[in-house]
Amino acid sequence: MTGKKKGKLTKVLDYLKHEDPFSKGVAFCPGCGLELLLRFIPQVLGNDIVITGTPSCSAPVLLGQNNQSWHTLSYFGTLMTGAAANATGLARYYRKAGIKNTVVCFNGDGTAADIGFGNLSGAAERNEPFIYICYDNEGYMNTGVQKSATTPYGASTTTTPFGTASKGKNLRRMNLALKMAMHKIPYAATATLSDLGDLAKKLLKAKEAKERGFAFLHVFAPCTTGWGYAPENTIEVCRRAVKTNYFPLWEAINGKIRMTKTVKKPKPVSTYTELMKKFAHLNEADLQILQDDVDYEYCMLGGLSTLEAECHIPESVED
Amino acid sequence: MNIKAEAKAKAGSQIKVITGNAAAAIGAKLVRPDVVAAYPITPQTEIIEQISKFHANGEMDCELITVEGENSAMNAVMAASLAGGRVFTATSSWGLVFMYDAVLATAGARAPVVMVNVNRETPGIIAVSCGQQDMISTRDAGWIFLIAEDCQEVLDLVLQAYRLAEDYDIQVPVMVHYDGFYLSYLSEGVDVPFQEDVDRFLSVLNDQPERTKLVPGGKLGCGTHGILGGYLELRHKHVSAMERSKAKFEQIDKEFQEIFGRSYGGQIEEYRMDDADVVLVGSGSMCGTIKTVIDEKRDAGVKVGLLKIRMYRPFPGEAMVEALKGKKAIGVVDRSLCFGFKGGPIYTELKAFETQLDGSKMVSFIDGIANTDITTANIGQMIDATCDLAEGKDVREVTWVSYPEAQEEGGL
Amino acid sequence: MSEVRFHGRGGQGVVTTSKILANAFARTGQFGASFPMFGFERRGAPVTAFGRFSDKPVREKTQIYNPDILVVLDPSQRDSEAVFDGLLPGGMMLLNDSDITVNVSHDNLKKLGIIDANKIALEEIGLPIPNTVIVGAFAKMSGLLEIDPCCDALQDYFSDKKLSANIVCVKRGFEEVKIFDF
Repeated sequence: MTGKKKGKLTKVLDYLKHEDPFSKGVAFCPGCGLELLLRFIPQVLGNDIVITGTPSCSAPVLLGQNNQSWHTLSYFGTLMTGAAANATGLARYYRKAGIKNTVVCFNGDGTAADIGFGNLSGAAERNEPFIYICYDNEGYMNTGVQKSATTPYGASTTTTPFGTASKGKNLRRMNLALKMAMHKIPYAATATLSDLGDLAKKLLKAKEAKERGFAFLHVFAPCTTGWGYAPENTIEVCRRAVKTNYFPLWEAINGKIRMTKTVKKPKPVSTYTELMKKFAHLNEADLQILQDDVDYEYCMLGGLSTLEAECHIPESVED
Repeated sequence: MNIKAEAKAKAGSQIKVITGNAAAAIGAKLVRPDVVAAYPITPQTEIIEQISKFHANGEMDCELITVEGENSAMNAVMAASLAGGRVFTATSSWGLVFMYDAVLATAGARAPVVMVNVNRETPGIIAVSCGQQDMISTRDAGWIFLIAEDCQEVLDLVLQAYRLAEDYDIQVPVMVHYDGFYLSYLSEGVDVPFQEDVDRFLSVLNDQPERTKLVPGGKLGCGTHGILGGYLELRHKHVSAMERSKAKFEQIDKEFQEIFGRSYGGQIEEYRMDDADVVLVGSGSMCGTIKTVIDEKRDAGVKVGLLKIRMYRPFPGEAMVEALKGKKAIGVVDRSLCFGFKGGPIYTELKAFETQLDGSKMVSFIDGIANTDITTANIGQMIDATCDLAEGKDVREVTWVSYPEAQEEGGL
Repeated sequence: MSEVRFHGRGGQGVVTTSKILANAFARTGQFGASFPMFGFERRGAPVTAFGRFSDKPVREKTQIYNPDILVVLDPSQRDSEAVFDGLLPGGMMLLNDSDITVNVSHDNLKKLGIIDANKIALEEIGLPIPNTVIVGAFAKMSGLLEIDPCCDALQDYFSDKKLSANIVCVKRGFEEVKIFDF
């Protein structure tokens, strides 16, 4: 695959083999990263996916209203607390009934990392046969920008506001994708919107992996409204998140981690934070804490990705 | 009539001495579910152990999901049900509470889920003991609630629950309740139906129009934002389906009798009610003991009967009024509490029909909470008090039968 | 109807004893109901179970306060007042004890059966679990059951070698119980 060299744009479009099932004008904020992601998924995976969603930024578009809908996908609107269990029920019934299926459990970080983490972890532990996608906008954007477990150190949100006695969130973020990889599931990966070819490949790998069990994708999806950057900068925010190693791109097969993109000379995290308001109040010392956390996570990933040389990682038992 | 005779001739069964929990598990096996989700909690655990055993032995061909908590159990079966599957799960007490959001969502989605709830106390004083407070706390979740008196009825109600839940005109989830400890661990003879008869009993469901199902590529969603008229339409349809379920349950009871030879009377069971002057109203395992005491009282010339509630949601108001109208006095036995009303929850609800009862007087008895035994002596005391009421004597409105201190404190 | 209260300790198979008896009664066309006193189940903790056996359906769902028959699997409880609590006149007691001398008494006790069920169980199944021996001894002492339904009932609880060994236990219990009338 890596040997083939094609123009970047053509390569991404090659992955879009299916129609966009969404209507042309939808109720997302202008510049929303989530919209690009949501339109992208069925174009890569097919319009015959069954997608589940919860109250979140995705809800106004995914759920529709009364008997009206923004899209033609088979869709299950549910609660944040049990989304992975809903997807489990669907996938298991389809398996029992012999119905070919790709169930996509599509949730924000509030569901994935906070309130619904228990059942996400449970579904992964049981190796349930579906794809779980977390679109991570680092907080509860739909309810008006509150902090979640993936909100980074220093970020100002409405529940961790910057003030005379506060520098924003005073805790380091949870690394959800790494936690999921540690469930030793067939497939776990990170992706973002500045690297759509990488995202498309990972979606297809996830679809293939779900035949063997649980597939998890963690997609970094910036929020223009909640983070305070210009709508046209969504892709640039993603790009810099990757280039600073703030959000490294990797995948893990049965818990075996591999970097899918290595940044040769990572830029300082300040080149990422300077793009948005949520970090604007941080001084150099505060930024250093964020930088240290980014470095720490990257170092940990590096160590894990070279573990193979040190020890034998058993293949996952197939169902 | 011919069909009836043929049915009876064909019906087969075998008596097995099993617990209420085992009866529930066997019922679940006999309906051939597609998906079962299981999480253990005392006193329900034996149900899912039995089902796991059936599954491991190849006797049950279902997807068995050993979830990480009750909330996931309900979410998994709700979704599997909306996708088109027949589903089963079981819980109790805190488990029911932990899945409460999904219990509500399941009802709103009109997913025909069947769940067994083994009644156990829920208040914060951790009581590993019998009580109906878990049932009462979830009574208006939008589910049909059925209550069993003994192990046989546990099994029979599980079978009947599917006929109700999956009926095209109903499509409402059904919860089968029975008393924890008193029935969950009670071993007694149960007439276990043969598979072919259960298949025949359920085959009616295959002949009705197919319900809407969520399938891949189906261009169909469930769980939209319901607002204003759209929301009201669905809520009203839900209420109407609940009302229809009353007559449907009566009809299912008759069809059940034709195949299995057992009838319970539908929404309510009336025991020695015809010429009764006074009546106890009860539900669940206490009813067996009440019947025994009634027989003794009848021998002594006391005209007393029992009205047993089998369907608690929707509340069988019309059937109860019909049966109770004109009785001199009614004593309602509650195994749970409601706040601000002093009397028990079922008593309070029946009170709403007081004007239709042609002057029947009513009293409330609270007993059986946290495994306090509803003894024959306690029931005798309740019947005596209700008789006193019938004779116009002064009887306190609410009696905590096993806790006389409540009366001494004077508050109630 | 006979109301029976069982006293023993966790691990002795107290509840199973009453279940097997209910099962045996059902096999004769009669009715049996068995249930444990509720509490945390732990090996070694005192356990109480109840059994109601009758030729008519058993409807009561309460604990037993006035038993006709006491079955004591744990010899250390033989003198406990709680064991005799509520025993009806004409009552019977079955005692699992290595000491065959009659040293229990109660005004209402009219018949006593003693059997060293632990010893028999050790010999036949290799474990000091007296429950199936007690089943056989109960049938003999009470006169309420023949031996056959008791042996048949074991099929629902045991299989293979364990089944045949426990059938021997039931039979030995039936044959070896010492009965004393007062």
